[in-house]
Amino acid sequence: MSDTWTNRLSEYLDGDLPAGERTVLEAHLPTCAECSETLAQLRRVVARAQALDDRAPTADLWPAIARHVGVVSLDARRARRRLSFTVPQLAAAAVALALLSGGSAWLLERRPAEGPPSQSTTTATPMLTNAGTYEANPRYAAAVANLERVLAQGRGRLDTATVRVIEKNLGIIDRAIRDAQSALAADPANSYLNLHLAQEMRRKLELLRQAAALAGART
Amino acid sequence: MELTTPGVATLRRDLDQTARDAETADVALAASGDGRAFERLYRTHVTRIHSLARRMTGEEHADDLTQDVFVRAWTKLSTFRAEAAFGTWLHRLAVNVILARRTTLGTERGRYDDSEGVLDGVSSRPHAPDLSLDFEEAIGRLPDGAREVFVLHDIEGYRHEEIADLLGIVPGTSKSQLHHARMALRRHLE
Repeated sequence: MSDTWTNRLSEYLDGDLPAGERTVLEAHLPTCAECSETLAQLRRVVARAQALDDRAPTADLWPAIARHVGVVSLDARRARRRLSFTVPQLAAAAVALALLSGGSAWLLERRPAEGPPSQSTTTATPMLTNAGTYEANPRYAAAVANLERVLAQGRGRLDTATVRVIEKNLGIIDRAIRDAQSALAADPANSYLNLHLAQEMRRKLELLRQAAALAGART
Repeated sequence: MELTTPGVATLRRDLDQTARDAETADVALAASGDGRAFERLYRTHVTRIHSLARRMTGEEHADDLTQDVFVRAWTKLSTFRAEAAFGTWLHRLAVNVILARRTTLGTERGRYDDSEGVLDGVSSRPHAPDLSLDFEEAIGRLPDGAREVFVLHDIEGYRHEEIADLLGIVPGTSKSQLHHARMALRRHLE
């Protein structure tokens, strides 16, 4: 392998070769079988690298990590519990989900025809918790309390209809949160219910933010 | 002001968005001390992180390094900002943990050896039944510097400037190592 261009082929392949040299190399390639073959092989190496599959570790590393960070493995929790659902548990979960869906339908039906578009409900909000930590989560509780205070201070600047809609929506969200918490108390490991609860809590925070901003904007 | 409340049907309609939301929620939950949320994050990302550690340092160190990465991630979750995806943040953290451990793992040998002779030591196994594993084994036999650059550039998609910054070298050295690694690996395509 002695061609002067051989050591530049990777740069050419990656688009890193300066324009002048690229032009010269492209003129050289049709005349040099060795460089053409090497370039084709390098392309295949790159393609193979990009197609490699990741492999999971052969052993579960979580128990050791959990010990290091001082948390209990989900598997260990599950192992201590019977993996069965009682009728009341299933009923509680069904009620929670029905309320969430019912609340959605109610809200959608109540949406005014010319109302402003709502903000995306998928906005990331780094203050979430779940059934086990909601009441005790100081960050979330502080954020909610702070927004409620701001809203209370600016409440007089909002018209009555707006205040009524805000209060209704907050009531619905609070009910959904409580119902989800009740259902999760019976089934703490249910990730679907956990997700719903997290979304409702985020929704409450977002609604409070919108309402507080609205009240503040009317000063 | 009215509220939109996506229910079950909406969640099913956009599974990708739901997965992203779930991960965002899990990151926030884990940052507030929820071990179950952190375990879910672990199970989502462990395969990629372990594969990175194995390719960068070898099978024998991959488990320990993967544990280190997630322990470090747990302690640094509060610094995560949602501008980037959590997976991207975790991956960068993993690269830093792995590179920081190279010296203690004794993986510095031949780090920036540019000689073709060293790379010739990567033997060919044309009849191996699992070509992917054979290719992975060949990557593992590359000199440390060439392997790190190859893994970061061709498998993980880092740019030479980023690699140079991570490894403390100049971009030209990164390009040279990459080329030599590719040249050595050509024999493992058949």
